[in-house]
Amino acid sequence: MILLIILFLPILTGLFLLPFRSASVVRPMALAASVINLLITLSLVLSPSAAYAVEWISFLGINFSLGFDGISMIMILLTNLLFPFILLAGFNREQRNVHILNFLILFTQSALLGVFLAQNAFLFYVFWELSLIPVYFILLIWGGDGRKTITFKFFIYTLTGSLLLLFGIIYLYQLTPVPHTTDFAAFNKLNIPATTQIWLFWILFIAFAIKMPVFPFHTWQPPTYNMASTQGVMILAGVMTKMGIYGALRFLFPVIPQGVLYWQNTVIVLSLIGVIYASLIAFRKTNLKMLIAFSSMAHISLMVAAMFVLNTYALQGLLIQTISHGVTIAALFYIASLIKEKTGTIELPQLGGLKLQAPKMALLLLIVVLGSIALPLTAGFIGEFLMITGLFQQSIWFAAIGGLTMILGAIYMLYAYQRAMLGVQKSVFNKITDIRALDYLILIPLIVVIIGLGIYPQPIFNLFDQSIHATQNLIKPVAEAVSALAH
Amino acid sequence: MTALIFTIVLGILVLYLGFIKNKTILAPVAIAGLLVSLYLSFQDWGLGSMYFHNMILFDNFSIAFNISMIIITILIFIFGIDYYEDMKLHVAEQYALMIFALAGAFLMTSFSNLIMLFLGIEILSIPLYVLAGGKKYSYRSNEASFKYFMLGSFATAIFLFGIALVYGASATFYLPEIKTFIAQFNGHLPPMLLVGLLFILIGVAFKVAAAPFHFWSPDVYEGAPTLVTAFMSTVVKTAGFAAFYRLLNMGLLPLPIPLEKALWVMTALTLFVGNLGALKQTNFKRLLAYSSISHSGFIMLAMLSQHGSSAAVLLYYTFVYSLATVPIFIIFILMKRASERHEELFIFRGLFKTKPWIAVFMTILLMSLAGIPPTSGFMAKYQVFVLSISQGILWTSIFAILMAIIGIYYYFNVVREVFTEREQPSVIIVSKLNAALIIVCGVAVVILGIFVWKLPI
Repeated sequence: MILLIILFLPILTGLFLLPFRSASVVRPMALAASVINLLITLSLVLSPSAAYAVEWISFLGINFSLGFDGISMIMILLTNLLFPFILLAGFNREQRNVHILNFLILFTQSALLGVFLAQNAFLFYVFWELSLIPVYFILLIWGGDGRKTITFKFFIYTLTGSLLLLFGIIYLYQLTPVPHTTDFAAFNKLNIPATTQIWLFWILFIAFAIKMPVFPFHTWQPPTYNMASTQGVMILAGVMTKMGIYGALRFLFPVIPQGVLYWQNTVIVLSLIGVIYASLIAFRKTNLKMLIAFSSMAHISLMVAAMFVLNTYALQGLLIQTISHGVTIAALFYIASLIKEKTGTIELPQLGGLKLQAPKMALLLLIVVLGSIALPLTAGFIGEFLMITGLFQQSIWFAAIGGLTMILGAIYMLYAYQRAMLGVQKSVFNKITDIRALDYLILIPLIVVIIGLGIYPQPIFNLFDQSIHATQNLIKPVAEAVSALAH
Repeated sequence: MTALIFTIVLGILVLYLGFIKNKTILAPVAIAGLLVSLYLSFQDWGLGSMYFHNMILFDNFSIAFNISMIIITILIFIFGIDYYEDMKLHVAEQYALMIFALAGAFLMTSFSNLIMLFLGIEILSIPLYVLAGGKKYSYRSNEASFKYFMLGSFATAIFLFGIALVYGASATFYLPEIKTFIAQFNGHLPPMLLVGLLFILIGVAFKVAAAPFHFWSPDVYEGAPTLVTAFMSTVVKTAGFAAFYRLLNMGLLPLPIPLEKALWVMTALTLFVGNLGALKQTNFKRLLAYSSISHSGFIMLAMLSQHGSSAAVLLYYTFVYSLATVPIFIIFILMKRASERHEELFIFRGLFKTKPWIAVFMTILLMSLAGIPPTSGFMAKYQVFVLSISQGILWTSIFAILMAIIGIYYYFNVVREVFTEREQPSVIIVSKLNAALIIVCGVAVVILGIFVWKLPI
């Protein structure tokens, strides 16, 4: 029951708020709902036992079943943690049709929670697609220049992946024993021939690879991030990329372990290419939002590589990095939008010396940048350190190239910081103001999470107790496949 | 049977009502009559009664399809009240002809004899030839009517020739007897029978606009009065597929290998032509014509999967497709009126600004056609793919999925226009009745997508 509340509270609030057109009513109410949802989620973390299931479309083996394990819990926590700040980012700003915008954001939140709570592949798929629809409209109506074409590309790209995923789900469905079902539990018990697993891997993986994105399925991402509104990009980069990671963990490892094993090195190499490629492009970008977009891609690529080395270190690192990356990237994009708002430009060569007029903003940006480049005592450090340890166990080369994310990241992020904030002040920026109370309200909590997790990650690791169990469950089928091959 | 008789009488009645000056009573009478037909159809449920030396069999399959077609016709007629308001002459004929066509459609869902199928197709088609030319002074309408008539009669001739050949080989018109006759050859059919069957399938494929027999449909859809186009792309299509399925299921399954191959090629080609053709259309009616062709492809995929439940899937698919198509045509006409009778995609521009609720429903309806959850169009496609993939038809399914992506592309082209702002906002007038119709259909499209149950047919 509590899961139903978590799932539907945001969208029902959004629907309820639709008739109100005044921003001063809609915004606080929407925020209140998402904060309440966060509190309920936290209570769930403390006493983790809840599930809900009813039959939905029985003749197609579809159940409306909700539940969670450690991995889903981390995703749910991240979603519910970020959405209050995403909603807060809309306060005190000029927005057309506030009631519709807030409805769409809350709709997205519900759909994302649905993805992470679903215990049935069909339900998962429905929420997966549902999350795309409000985001499509958020980008289309409230996006920046060139939104029509870019949104369209984003939409078609993601749907292509989803439809292949749909094929995969139906294929798995008809493999389950009669009466067929789309429950994950039944999928996990399947014993699929290795030859089938090898081709099925790509059918399932492409959807997640596009969402994350993994090289070479990434071309939709940088322009979309660049064009999106502040709130849109916070949703996209902060939470929606994690859908891909979650989906891969949920679908690939338990269901087609041999397929994963077969393509393991291919995916790791693709991801590492992505790391280098995205970092190098980030160097050359003068547009700050584009630069952050590519840096996000580099970090996500490292996460994908870590996911596929299949050991406990790497998976632990992956999960903590999920939260760390989500929070950091949301904060980075928020500050980037602040800069755009205050100066009217996001091009680094036109910026410079902002620190003199806005020292507080510069300081906050510095902290977030340091979190992003995985300085010790930030959450990013723990995540990336664990992931690189995991990569090292697979191959020293993987670890070496993966480690480049941190080094290259430090260079381009600090260089960008220097070009935007330090140096001689441009005369046009004489009048800009420093950040306001609202910005503190958003950035300080996010920074607290980044640093807090970096200094004292133990609460999260305690939460991981169940996810350790879950991750071992993930690796087990693959490990069994390895030992089967050895015999 | 009573439903069929009553519908024909209703057609004649409405035709004679044309003598009365007051044409506002036409639509209410026609709708009330159809409601009675609906009731009578429900009465026949489960009886499985046969008539005319077993030439007609009203089983649950045919009744379910008849009910679905009556409901869609009622929706079209409700819209007709507004559509025919400005028309001075011949309104009674329009309603009467559609009712006659509906009677033909009833025969097409309930035949068990090839002659009855032929009669059904003719009773359906002849009123349509006239209806397509309903705008007497419009060149395009005349062209549509003429083209439809020429190609349609050509297809009918081939169809009839096929029946003759099959009769020549098997000495029967009865489908169950043809089935046993085919079975004795163990797949090696004599050429005359094979050619005959192929010709029959071509005739039916023409009616449902399956490629490569689809060339008439974009031109006819574009030229015909929009209400008639809506009727053709929903009721006529449903009837065509019901007949197609019945023909295969009663007479031809298991399909002889050459026919099966031919039908699979037709399916893939239909998917390809429909979706690729729609991609570059700027005229909305032509876009819907190609989209209707592509939906034919998906329906054929379900039909050829030869599974026990494909009749139910077929019914569900055609019904929810019609349910989404009719209101889309209504919105199209409203927008056309507001934009100096243009028919291009840009007429939808600014809809969100002026009528946000209509825009939302338009989006839901297009999402249903594109097959995006939580609409019923998605559930329809999902069931089609469940059928085909369960039968091990993997490559065609992947191909169909790729084509569905193209479908999403062109439907969302329209959505994009809906949410784009226009320089000079146009004045869109939506009567209460039309708004109610759009909302009811839009809500039904979602509800039917969430609550799905298996139909006992």
